[in-house]
Amino acid sequence: MSSESISYQVRIKLLQPALFLVALAVFSIASNASAQQTNPLASDPRAAGAGGVLFRAQCATCHGADAKGISSIDAPDLTMMWQQAGMDENRVFTRIQDGVPGSIMPAHDFPDTEIWMLVSYLRSVAVSGATEEFTGDAENGGRLFTAHCIECHRAGSGGGSLGPNLERITQRRSQAALRGSIREPNSSIGRGYKPIVLSTLGDTEVRGIIKGEDAFSIQILDSNQRLRGFAKSQLLSSDRDIDSLMPAFPEQQLSEKQLDDILSFLYQQR
Amino acid sequence: MNQTRASHQILRRMIKKSSYVAFGLLLPALTALAQDDSGPNYGDILQGFADPSRWLTYSGDYSGQRHSPLKQINTENVASLRPVWTFQTGTTTRGRGFETTPLVDDGVLYVTGSNNYAWAIDARTGRRFWQYRRNLPEDLTYGASAPVNRGFGMLGNSLFMVTLDAHLLAFDRRNGDILWDVELADYRVGYASTGAPLVLDGKVITGISGGEYATRGFIDAYDPASGERLWRFNTIPGPGEPGSETWPDDPEILAKGGGGTWMNGSFDPELNLIYWGVGNPNPDYYGDSRPGDNLYSNSLVALDADTGELKWHYQFTPHDLNDWDSNHMPVLADIQWQGEQRKVVMVGNRNGFFYVLDRVSGEFLLGKPFTATTWAREIGEDGRPIVLNDGSKGCLPDPWGSTNFMPPSFYPELGLFYLTARETCATIVPEEPTLEPGRASFGGVVFIDPEQGSGALRALDVQTGELRWEFTYPSPTFGGVLTTAAGLVFAGDHEGNFMAFDAVNGENLWHYQTGSRIWGAGAMTHILDGRQYVLIPSGTTLTAFALPER
Repeated sequence: MSSESISYQVRIKLLQPALFLVALAVFSIASNASAQQTNPLASDPRAAGAGGVLFRAQCATCHGADAKGISSIDAPDLTMMWQQAGMDENRVFTRIQDGVPGSIMPAHDFPDTEIWMLVSYLRSVAVSGATEEFTGDAENGGRLFTAHCIECHRAGSGGGSLGPNLERITQRRSQAALRGSIREPNSSIGRGYKPIVLSTLGDTEVRGIIKGEDAFSIQILDSNQRLRGFAKSQLLSSDRDIDSLMPAFPEQQLSEKQLDDILSFLYQQR
Repeated sequence: MNQTRASHQILRRMIKKSSYVAFGLLLPALTALAQDDSGPNYGDILQGFADPSRWLTYSGDYSGQRHSPLKQINTENVASLRPVWTFQTGTTTRGRGFETTPLVDDGVLYVTGSNNYAWAIDARTGRRFWQYRRNLPEDLTYGASAPVNRGFGMLGNSLFMVTLDAHLLAFDRRNGDILWDVELADYRVGYASTGAPLVLDGKVITGISGGEYATRGFIDAYDPASGERLWRFNTIPGPGEPGSETWPDDPEILAKGGGGTWMNGSFDPELNLIYWGVGNPNPDYYGDSRPGDNLYSNSLVALDADTGELKWHYQFTPHDLNDWDSNHMPVLADIQWQGEQRKVVMVGNRNGFFYVLDRVSGEFLLGKPFTATTWAREIGEDGRPIVLNDGSKGCLPDPWGSTNFMPPSFYPELGLFYLTARETCATIVPEEPTLEPGRASFGGVVFIDPEQGSGALRALDVQTGELRWEFTYPSPTFGGVLTTAAGLVFAGDHEGNFMAFDAVNGENLWHYQTGSRIWGAGAMTHILDGRQYVLIPSGTTLTAFALPER
C-alpha cells in the first residue's frame, strides 16, 4: 500500500464528519449524483482504498473483512457477485443504498460519494474471471473429461452431481488453483463437499458428502448420487477424517499436457 | 470445439436415452453409476398413488382428485396426530400464502417457496439438503404482486419450476443446480409464472399469468431434456382464428385479451387430453372495449397433449366483468351418471357454481351454485348462465370468488366433492383503463363489504351439487383440501388452523394452530418407513404431522 493511500485513509478516519466535503473537493461530484450515473470515481485509484476503509467499518460484520461473505448468516460472497447476470456498478450502488428488502441487508443513508467508494472497493476485490491464456487442446480435454470427470462433475449440459458444477469454474478459480485441486483434491475441499463415511446399524457403510447436519440427524449426497438422511441414533459411527471423494490425479495418470487440455475444455464451457 | 461439443451432446443424449447397462458398456469407468437412483419416470407418475411413498405431481396423480389411499391415520386415531418437524423457509409473501405442494420421492421432499426459493428436504427430519434462490430482476411486474409458487414438476433426476420473471427452469434434484433455463415470455410486459409444471411423457406443460395486465395467455409444452418448446396454445385466439368472433375485430385487443393460465392442469392418459383452466379477460372489470363472450377466457380447455390442439372448451362465465378466473384444479373422475358410466371433469368455480362436464366431449351435465350468488342462480339448458346482475348491483361473489385456485378434493367411494367456499359481497364500479405494457389494467374499482364475509369447508354430492355437510369458518378462506381413503378430510383455514374432519358427516376430529393463514395450499400425504405423514405449508413454515411412534 502506498504511503499516499495510507495518508488518505488516515484522513478519512480523522475527518469522518467532513468526509463528504473533502470528497467533494477531491472528486468534484455533485452531491445529488444519481444512481443511474457511471461511477464518477472509476478513474481515481484512491477510491478503492477509501472504500475499503468504509467497508471494514460498515460492512465487514456481515460480509467479512475480505468481502467473501459469512455463510452462517447467508451474507453472500461479494467478490463473486460481479459474475451474476445483469450485475453492474449501478446495481451494486442501488443495493447498498436501498438494501435488500426482506433480508438483514439494510438501506444505507450514506452520501453518494461514499457509496461510490464502496463500489470502487468491491470492484477492486472482484473475482473477475480468467484473463489467463488457455493453451491446451480443448477437444482432447473433452475426451479426458468424459473419461475421468463426468461421473461426478457437470460441464455443459451433462455429467454427475457429486462434485461441483465446473461449467464456469475457470471464471472463479485460477488455473494454478484448479491444477492443485486435480493433483491433490484433499488440499482444499469446498463447503458442501466435505466427505463422510457412515456406518449404519445394518452394518452397511455409506460414503458421501455432507449437505446438512443437526444434533440428531445428518443429510448427505451418497457416492451413488442419492440424497439420503440418517438419524444419528441409527448410526454406529461416522468418520469425517477421510479423503475427498475425488480421486487424486498424479502426473503418472494425467500429464501436464493433458491437464492443460482439460482446463482448456473447461474454459470453453463458461 | 464444435465437434467436441457435438460429440458430448451425442453422448449425453445416449446417456439420457440408454439404460444403465448400455451406459456401462459405453463407458466402463461409469459402472458405479449403475446403482444411481435414476428417479421417477413417466410410468411412475402415471401410476399415481399406486406407490404412496411417492407424491410425484401437484395433486399426487394426474386426476386432480387429491385423494390418497393411505389409511394409517384414520377417524379413530387422528385425534393423536402431532407435529414431527417444522421447516422454516425464511421467505414469505405478505398478503398471500405459502402455496406449494411438496413432491416426495425416495424419502426426499422437493419444495418450492415464495420469491422463487426452493429446497430439497429430508422427509424424516425436515432438514435441508440444498436451497435454491433465484436472483430476480428488480423490475418484476406481475411477479412482484404475487411472488408465489405452487410446486415442482419432476421427471428422472430433473425438477421443473417456473419463475416470477416468466422463465421455466430445470434443476438437478441432487444438488439444486440449474440444468436449463428458458424464457416463457417477457416479464416486463406483465408476465410471470407461478403454477406447478405438469410433467407428461416427454413434455413439461406450464401456464402463465395473468389477465390483470394487458397480456395474452398461453399454455406451453417443453422438452424435459433440452427445454425446447414443443407447442403453444394461445388462450386468446388470433385474428380470424376460431373464437375470434367472440371479440371485437381488432388485433390490438386480441393481443392484450388476458386469459392467464396460472394454475395447474390435469391429464387423462387414455384420451391423451390435458384439462386446464383459463383466467379472466383484460381489462378485468371494464367490458365495453371487448363486447362478446371473449373466448377462451373463464373457460376450461381440453387440449391434445401431443399437439396442444384444442379439442373442446366450456366457458363458465361469458364476457366476465368480475375477475372470475377459471384457474382451478380440474378434477377428473369416472362416475355413474344417470345410470351410465361417464368420464367427467368437475370444477368448483370462482363464479359460485359447481360444474360437472363430460370430459370426452365437453358436454354440460350439471351446474349448481354452492354459495350465495346474485349474478346468476341457474345455468340454462344450453350451458350458458342466466345472468341477473352484471356486478353494478352488488353482492355477487367478490372478485376473489366463491372459491379460488386452492385445490379441492374428490372422494370417489363417497361421491363427494370437497371444496373451500367463500361467502362474500362486492360492488364493482367499472372505469375505462389505459392499457400500457408493464402496468396492471383492472378497469374499475371493487368495493368489498367488510361486514359480510365467511368461509366454509363444504361437501357436495356430485350427482346433484347439493350440500351434504359444511364446517364454517369465521372469514373467507383460501386453504385447500386433501382426502384420504381412511374417511378423512384435511383442510386449512384463514385463521391458521390445520384440521381433520370425518368425510362422511363433517365432524371436526382434530385441529392444530400453525400460526399463519393457510392460503392457496392443500395438504399432501405419504408413507415413509411405515409411518404416514401429512404435510401442510403455512406462512413461512412447512410442518409434517404423524401419529406418535409406538
